[in-house]
Amino acid sequence: MSLRAAALACALCALAAGMSGALAQTQDAPPATAQEAPTIVQPPPEPQDASPRIIEAPTPPPRPRPRPRAPAAEPPEPSTDFPAAITDRDIAVTSDYQGFDVTVFGYNPEWRRGGDIVVALRGPTQPTVVRRKFRFLAFWVNGDPVRFEEAPSFLAVYSDRPLNQIASPRLILALGLDPAASARLAGQTPPGTDASDYRRALVRLRRAAGLYIENPNGLRIDNEMLFQAQISIPANAPIGDYTADVYYFRDQRLISSRQSQVKVSREGIERQVHEFASDWPFVYGLLTVAIALLAGWLAAIVFRRT
Amino acid sequence: MSIYLPIAEMPVDALLILVLSGIVGFLSGLTGLGGGFIMTPMLLFLGIPAPVAVATQASQITATSVSALMTQSRRRSVDWRMGMLLTVGGVLGSTFGVSIFSSLLAVGQIDILISLLYVLFLGVVGALMLYESFNAIRTKRPLAAATFTSSSNTFAQKLPFLMRFPRSGLYISVLPPLALGFGVGVLAAIMGIGGAFILAPAMIYLLRMPTNVVIGTAQFQVLIVAAVVTLLQATVTQKVDVLLAVLMITGGVVGAQFGARFGARLPAEQLRAALALVVLGAGLKILFDLVRPPAELFVLGAG
Repeated sequence: MSLRAAALACALCALAAGMSGALAQTQDAPPATAQEAPTIVQPPPEPQDASPRIIEAPTPPPRPRPRPRAPAAEPPEPSTDFPAAITDRDIAVTSDYQGFDVTVFGYNPEWRRGGDIVVALRGPTQPTVVRRKFRFLAFWVNGDPVRFEEAPSFLAVYSDRPLNQIASPRLILALGLDPAASARLAGQTPPGTDASDYRRALVRLRRAAGLYIENPNGLRIDNEMLFQAQISIPANAPIGDYTADVYYFRDQRLISSRQSQVKVSREGIERQVHEFASDWPFVYGLLTVAIALLAGWLAAIVFRRT
Repeated sequence: MSIYLPIAEMPVDALLILVLSGIVGFLSGLTGLGGGFIMTPMLLFLGIPAPVAVATQASQITATSVSALMTQSRRRSVDWRMGMLLTVGGVLGSTFGVSIFSSLLAVGQIDILISLLYVLFLGVVGALMLYESFNAIRTKRPLAAATFTSSSNTFAQKLPFLMRFPRSGLYISVLPPLALGFGVGVLAAIMGIGGAFILAPAMIYLLRMPTNVVIGTAQFQVLIVAAVVTLLQATVTQKVDVLLAVLMITGGVVGAQFGARFGARLPAEQLRAALALVVLGAGLKILFDLVRPPAELFVLGAG
């Protein structure tokens, strides 16, 4: 743990050092006028790879339904060079896997102008079904399903104050930072029921399982410019491709963002067993039966002699 | 010691699984009944997804019934001919059961059916066992329905396709054993059990088999059906977790051997009465959970 902390500190130092040039650049830019301009994308200054591209994203137009992954589609040009990174890009699920802690960290080049950093880690989206129990005769049985598309299987949102003080509700919805809004209703709700009950239940149950985490105090900020969010991916979170987004908001607007990919994948014996079971299911079944027969036979032999 | 299960996709405490399956194995060795009806709910309670629990349980039943069958066959207490008939029915029934399972899983009603079946069978079997044990304890007579002789058998002799079963001393139609095997096979696939605790009383009361061959013969049917269900689940649902299976098998077979050894020294009637109480209690608990208003009205499922 201390080793990782040291590595993290080093990385932060390097980032900060690299960014100091960029910081000077952004400070040169006229501070107040940029706010007025609706959608100007500032041309990248001299040091290409080190400078943040600043985008004034206006509040997005009203949409009938919020969509996740909006940040990729919403800004005219996603500013991918916001200085942020993640400690682990490949998380190996091995036989001793018990979940994983990742740290999303970075440096805010515009820290002097205030604003807020929000970090979001998202798991792969999955279609999900929510059922409501009802009383049938004396028993409680499952009612008709309500389907949701694209519900994130895992969503952690870390900030250093409540989101509703950072961005407009509409922007929160558009960026998919609200777990309740991320799931898209697909199909009908049973007659006489309210879809929002099902949506709330989806969030409540995932929250209880540790899969939806909203932590308005989880972002650590050092020297006002270095930020880090330590996020625990629980072991029950699904295997797949995760994305870590860092958003920079100021005056209720999205200024810039950065996306990193995290891959959670099986390794070693976990991978071999899983692949064998799905590639050769019949042989896998035969092998399991053989293990069972052998173990039962061995036990009977061993215990007869002793 | 935590271990991540490759198919269930969750970590479990390996030691806990070993100990639990050891205890269940011990109980099944003690009483001669399979432990599936205790182990499956326990796996569910540990948070293992129902399809994985049911599918993997089949492999443990395979292992424990091999040990048991070897002991029984040494005592020559297996009616192989009857066992074959029951097995043919059982294999057909479990195939049918797996298809019922998957279609009910699709409409989200599998857990209510499983619960109702458990309430029904645990209640009936528990009550029967308790009644028998108390009778046996009171009259100080050895347990059993040995009072029934083959001559008192009527309906199984009136049906066509009569066959002689020398080991059981029966001359009955092949249809009742086939039907019985089929029914137990369906239940075995749906409930994640071996079904010996349903099969054995039915063989005594319906087929009028002598008790000394009942357990061994039931064990034979359970072994083959469990092996087929394991293979079927691995191929069709792909939910058999071999790591979980190895843990459960190890605990189960060792526990069963100790149970069998202890069982020889303990009074059978009292044991049966105790197990009957456990079975009845489990049935009541499931019934209570079905009737009680749930704290959380909503449930999640994969779409």
